[in-house]
Amino acid sequence: MMNSDFDRRDFLKVLGWGGASVALAGCGNGTVENGVETVVPYVEASDYMIPSISVYFNSTCAQCDAGCSITGRIREGRVLKLEGNPESPINRGKTCGLGQAGVQNHYNPDRVRSPLLRTGNSGEAITWEKAYALIGEKLHGVSGDEVAFLTGGMSGHLKVLLGNYLDSIGCKNHVVYEAIAPAVVRAANKKSYGVEMPRININRAKVVLSFGADFLGAWVSPVHFSQQYAQFRKGVDGQRGVLVQIESKMTITGANADRWLVVRPGTEGILAFGIINALGAQGLKLSADIAAAVKGYDKERVSKDTGVSAEQIDKIAALLKARTPSLVLAGGAAEGYAHGSQNAAAINLLNHVLGNVGKTIEAAAVVPFPQMEPATGNTAALKKLNDDLAAGKYKVLFSYAANPVFTAPGAMKFKDNMAKASFKVVFAQYLDETALQADLVLPLNSPLEDWGTQVPEYMAEGAQINILQPLMEKLHPETSGMGDILLALIKQGRAADYNKFDDYYAYLRTALLQNKAALGGAGNADDDVFWNETLSKGIIKLPGASHAALSGKSAVAGLSLPAPAAIDAQYPLQLIPSVNASLRDGRNTNQPWLQESPDPMTTIVWDSWMEIHPSKAAELGITEGDIVEVAGKNGSVKVQAYLFPGIHPDAISIPLGRGHEALGRYAKGYGVNPFQILDVVFDKETGELALHETRVKISKTGERVIVVKDEGPAGGRQMGQKIAPKLPSDKVNLSGEI
Amino acid sequence: MSISTLLENYSEYRHIHPVDDVPHNPYKWAMAIDLDACSGCNACSVACYAENNLPVVGREKFAHGQVMHWMRIERYWDEDGREFPDQGARFLPMMCQQCEAAPCETVCPVGATNHTPDGINSQIYNRCIGSRYCSANCPYKVRYFNWWDYPTTDNVWPAEMNLQLNPDVTVRSKGVMEKCTFCIQRVTVAKNDAKTQGRLVRDGEVQTACQQACPTSAITFGNLVDPNSKVHKKWQAQQVELDKDEQTKDMAEGGSELRGYRIYEQLRPFPSVMYMERVRESAI
Repeated sequence: MMNSDFDRRDFLKVLGWGGASVALAGCGNGTVENGVETVVPYVEASDYMIPSISVYFNSTCAQCDAGCSITGRIREGRVLKLEGNPESPINRGKTCGLGQAGVQNHYNPDRVRSPLLRTGNSGEAITWEKAYALIGEKLHGVSGDEVAFLTGGMSGHLKVLLGNYLDSIGCKNHVVYEAIAPAVVRAANKKSYGVEMPRININRAKVVLSFGADFLGAWVSPVHFSQQYAQFRKGVDGQRGVLVQIESKMTITGANADRWLVVRPGTEGILAFGIINALGAQGLKLSADIAAAVKGYDKERVSKDTGVSAEQIDKIAALLKARTPSLVLAGGAAEGYAHGSQNAAAINLLNHVLGNVGKTIEAAAVVPFPQMEPATGNTAALKKLNDDLAAGKYKVLFSYAANPVFTAPGAMKFKDNMAKASFKVVFAQYLDETALQADLVLPLNSPLEDWGTQVPEYMAEGAQINILQPLMEKLHPETSGMGDILLALIKQGRAADYNKFDDYYAYLRTALLQNKAALGGAGNADDDVFWNETLSKGIIKLPGASHAALSGKSAVAGLSLPAPAAIDAQYPLQLIPSVNASLRDGRNTNQPWLQESPDPMTTIVWDSWMEIHPSKAAELGITEGDIVEVAGKNGSVKVQAYLFPGIHPDAISIPLGRGHEALGRYAKGYGVNPFQILDVVFDKETGELALHETRVKISKTGERVIVVKDEGPAGGRQMGQKIAPKLPSDKVNLSGEI
Repeated sequence: MSISTLLENYSEYRHIHPVDDVPHNPYKWAMAIDLDACSGCNACSVACYAENNLPVVGREKFAHGQVMHWMRIERYWDEDGREFPDQGARFLPMMCQQCEAAPCETVCPVGATNHTPDGINSQIYNRCIGSRYCSANCPYKVRYFNWWDYPTTDNVWPAEMNLQLNPDVTVRSKGVMEKCTFCIQRVTVAKNDAKTQGRLVRDGEVQTACQQACPTSAITFGNLVDPNSKVHKKWQAQQVELDKDEQTKDMAEGGSELRGYRIYEQLRPFPSVMYMERVRESAI
């Protein structure tokens, strides 16, 4: 906290805020309210500080990994609201609800405020010096092989620094784990297109056929895709784009489709083959190997396997054939099976058959600094870590930006295995389930008070590096940035190389200035000018960035699809753990705006629910609000039932993200956590956890509740009123629209 | 005016707003919402919480119907008895429609809700006595009552969370009614800026919080009487007129091929929000 003018000026100088194009947010308010500081009128206000006038700083949203650029509104030293930065090609000035709630992550009352050391069952607040000394002590005499560093997806200089730190302690075990990342689709894309994450152009497609890719909700870069979608609806050459969504449980993207087709869980690949077969039958020329591969997939058989009518398969094929270019997407619902890779490959094959590769699927721009590229993670990595922990391989475990105790399937027993490491350090903003198992918890700055760089995995246009900068002073004096922590740790081993950097800010500044020319600052002789411009923009758009080439392979060799799974008599229903756009894997659940923001499909708030098709519910005698027990091989949960027409009758769905036993007051004790009852089945090709492979049975407990939801007693009915009407496209004239 | 004239021509009298000489000069704020673009994602709603100091009421109070979301997304299903909703759902962002002849205004016993000269239905918090007649009379159910004193309620704005509160917007206390204001604090700033510079507010100069966040840009907001504004052009292209209770285009035989409509137009509240119908492809 700033106690005197001298400190303040000093601070400005150290952080390089002196430039004209940026200004620093002012004094913290907490101490004023506590009476520690007094309110001093702005008799001699700083140039940029006018009471009641807001100033705006650019930074990067850290609520998910999409890398949207944000502009924070700051008044009297407080960040009040986040808006999208219009200059970013990713979000173009827009934000999602999750991004809006970033301020609630920052101001959250449940943040960890000082380093905590476990003594028995409680945490004792200790100093940073002691914490660092303790880490040094615990690492002493431990070989690098006995240390594991678990993180979520990470990129930019933080990843560089972590890599260097791990080098310095001789550790090669950087485990990147993202609970709900599209890892199988990445692998399938790599095979089909030569790149993991190509650039997709929904806005240039006349038809989008999506197999469970929730691109308007939680898939990859939803704010970017939402804008593409809006353009797509306005049309290419005046023709409104058509969205066909195929999935077993309706996502928000499915709810916006022109045709939503329910498919038997796991048969997405078969349907893709059926559509290729139908395209061939309608006269589209197929290469010999593809024709041979889809030969047996005539529409009658496919219809029988998938539950999609033969007529509908023909219609889709006709539409795809008539309107080009189109775009076919494989998403979370298609990849979540033991044969997820084959599903995704079969779906991607459609893009080759339809000639979309190179048109609506393009090579993405690449940041030419491999060290900074995003490290994307997967559950295969977590499985290995878990096995190694179980075998007692690790003595020291670090964990950052991951919460495996909450997100790993209960049957993996991660919590028990984690205990086998004798010293566990968790870097955390909250005491989440994983932090509670730690021996040492180090409190992090919020992303709105921290420095950093980020390289988004999905590049919208040219290559870009996003800048994170503090939007205000730290709220809590004893929190620290992850970069600063890593720097302090790295100095323990390599003081000579790193002592010249006082803090992560200095490191970051030096790093960026060193490579000024490559970052678009070639014409900028003055370092300060370049630096201030960079901070002011919040984005570095790399000039002349290269594009990874698409390899355009469409080989079908070795691609075989299993027959639809037979119904398990004991566990007849398929559990679909759904991903809600706001709550995702549960890391943001302690932000009350998100808890109170109704789920778009069911309008339920503050709780979990089980979606079941009305016909199945009638069969089982279940009505809305019945508490049912959902039991699988690996445990059970009790949850309220909600009758939902957008789901396959042989499936039920429970959203992820709720059911916390820790994290904070707005998360703990609300709902259930379906991660805990997942069957541990892996995709055969990539080793990824197959999220949709869990089979369950349900039974009524006899208890009932009133479902807390926004929807009124009329449900989704309009009672004959013209409230939300719709027009068929042949009855509407869009030509004169503005 | 005799009572018989009043009764005979009641509709005419009640929708003239403001009652004075020149209505809507130079501003009449209005919206157009494209339901074919709206994905129902709720970003608008959360942005509204952030901008307008809306309290999070929690599970129990939500169950009692005390939620305060000025902007909500309603979700409707097709009602044709099919087994699956195979043309998706329908989403509708619903907030105060800023009616020109607002049913809420006429029933307020203390005149706490009334019309501003620029066509916004305003709510004066310190005049409101909490009779809740306005809410009862609102056909859209977009008025929200403070049943509790949220600033002092546990975990609504606990320490630090209160630092996020927007200083430009009043934090409401127990016993008053509130609702969407078309982000009047933003409108006011823009109007003052323009006035200082001796001009009118330019189109696009002021965005509502929901509009600014909306990932599909489904929401257009602006000055309806400015012929160059986007919102004016949209209303015009859709042939929706503010002062009609039934649009001429809809009276044509076979209906209209245009998408613009207003909800509950026939009740004659003359809402300032035009929606554009969702379209569904007929070839698939």
